[in-house]
Amino acid sequence: MNKSQRTITALASLSVAVLGLSACSNSDAGDSGSDEKLNIAFVVGASADPFFLAMKLGAEEEAKALGVNLTFQGDATTYSPATQIPVVNQVLATSPDGLALVPTDPDALQPAVDRAVASGIPVVNVDTSVNDLKDVTSFITGDNADGGAKAADALAAAMDYEDGGTFQVVVGLSSATSTTNVARLDGFKKQIADKYPDIEIAATGYSQSNPATANTNVNNWLTAYPDLKGIFAIDGTNADGASSALRAKGLAGRVALVGYDAYKTNVDLIGSGVITALIAQDPAEEGKLAVRYLVKAIKDGDKADIEKSVTLPNITLDKSTSAADLEKYTYVQSAN
Amino acid sequence: MTDNGATSATPTRPRTGRIASGLARGIFRVLGSQQFVLLVVLVLMVVMFTSINSKFFSVGVFGNILVNWAPIALIAVGQTFVVVSGGIDLSVGSTMTLSGVVAAFVMQTATGGGTPDALSLLVGVVTAAGVGLVVGLVNALLINQARLVPFIATLATLGAGAGLSLVLTKGGPIAGGPSSAISLSVPWLGPLSWPGIFVVIIIVIAGLFLHKSRFGRYVFAIGGNSFAATAVGISVKTQITKVYALSGLLAGLGGMVLYITLGSGSPSAGAGQELLAIAAVVIGGASLTGGIGRMSGTVLGSLILTTVTSGLIIINIDPNWNQVVVAVLIAAAVTLQILRRGQGSKA
Repeated sequence: MNKSQRTITALASLSVAVLGLSACSNSDAGDSGSDEKLNIAFVVGASADPFFLAMKLGAEEEAKALGVNLTFQGDATTYSPATQIPVVNQVLATSPDGLALVPTDPDALQPAVDRAVASGIPVVNVDTSVNDLKDVTSFITGDNADGGAKAADALAAAMDYEDGGTFQVVVGLSSATSTTNVARLDGFKKQIADKYPDIEIAATGYSQSNPATANTNVNNWLTAYPDLKGIFAIDGTNADGASSALRAKGLAGRVALVGYDAYKTNVDLIGSGVITALIAQDPAEEGKLAVRYLVKAIKDGDKADIEKSVTLPNITLDKSTSAADLEKYTYVQSAN
Repeated sequence: MTDNGATSATPTRPRTGRIASGLARGIFRVLGSQQFVLLVVLVLMVVMFTSINSKFFSVGVFGNILVNWAPIALIAVGQTFVVVSGGIDLSVGSTMTLSGVVAAFVMQTATGGGTPDALSLLVGVVTAAGVGLVVGLVNALLINQARLVPFIATLATLGAGAGLSLVLTKGGPIAGGPSSAISLSVPWLGPLSWPGIFVVIIIVIAGLFLHKSRFGRYVFAIGGNSFAATAVGISVKTQITKVYALSGLLAGLGGMVLYITLGSGSPSAGAGQELLAIAAVVIGGASLTGGIGRMSGTVLGSLILTTVTSGLIIINIDPNWNQVVVAVLIAAAVTLQILRRGQGSKA
């Protein structure tokens, strides 16, 4: 082959690759081109997280029922404003009819929300919120402060708490600023201050929603605090990391572990005693409500009957929970 | 250090040498058409994304692509010098993070003390550039004085930078700087915003440096064969110091661009960006064994990467596919290059 032939061959093979890509995308986004349907954009934190997968399935179900197009995006694995803001900007550039947003930081995402509202796009916050909710159509979340308090109750019960003892616990968080993390920790701390004064929070750490990081944190705490009695893993990835660390060290059941979020794998660990209790939310319902409210807001404007703030209850799942309830609250991971 | 790169580069030499008289001219001609191929790929992508969702073809979308492109382009420009010199700089992502975070603290203090926004921003730019420069000089010190290979030296500073950013911020973003910062990332010259314009200027200057200046010739010479470069009287250590200082400086400025985009200094802002920069340089036709590379290739490579990321969002592909698509692109681009250089076929 001479040089120009090689160039042509190379170009041809690349075009095939590009066309292949376009073919596979057609099947995924086949109906995003039609004009009369409303376009709802949904941007989450780490889209591969089972919590957000469950939210996606809920949102998709509702979008299908209401006959609207849904664009569901977010960085696959990193829960961070640095990765989320470019996604939100790009989604807004396509001028959707409504935006459901899970802001990864209350300050950093405020400008994006303001810009959307200014250009007439109604915004719903889901799970977490931006600082200024004035222009936000609705904020749908779980009762995180209550969930934190329930976690304190579950942990105290598992450690056989009595006044006068020493009960060292640690808290694994994902981020210092995510509003859900903050609310759960506040609820947890308040409940301890009110009811369990001898529980001491020895350390807190951040995992950036990475179970491997959460695992390392817990391993180090187990070394640093040999008398550790309990762990509060503030979300699903932290519960993943903590349970694997406990199992690896043979401490499962000896150190109480209260986690958050009903990932299938973690719900199964309640049965085997690794996880003492899980505080479960209802992400699928959050996703559904977000889409429903956005469609209402777009169609009916200000007069739509929309609750400005929706707080879905959190549920404690433990060994005493019925099999039916366990199944009901486990986060769905695939449609059917 | 760079010696290794040079030795493994030698096998490729006779073939390019065949194109006769000037090695530089040979490289120019071979890569000259690689650029054309990249341009075609970029156009094909735009056509493909637009045909799936017509909203892709808009000033707003292109504006966002260029905002995302600006910081990656900056570190990719620095990386081009490093790669051509036969080295690699893994620290640029975390250098962006660290300089953005330090600048955020400085601007927070300045703005809190009543400094006007413009001055506060200027202080931020200088701080970010300074932090980047320091990291670059540390890299050079580790490579020249401690005799670490660039991969290890910059892997160390990558970890140190990322860790320090977390220590300083305790994990949360640092806001409270000049409130008008974020408005600078709004496109005003077509799809170009202030950081975009700034980056274009930097690219032109850096391109002239790499391809037209004595410094650039030295960098190619060192990457091609550092023994020969030493033999003809080039001070390899001095040039290597300049190369890593430049890469650090540009990463520092990249950190400031990220600050402007986010409106705060985020401890995760630059995480993993070094791989995008290296990918951009490689897609652009540079050889990781040193001595080969073009600034225009890097620019196209970085544009392709940011375009595909944005495009996948707009045509609503499941985000989990993003990394796979980028990986396929890198493999395809490099395969293409090898095919075109004739190393892959006997015909």
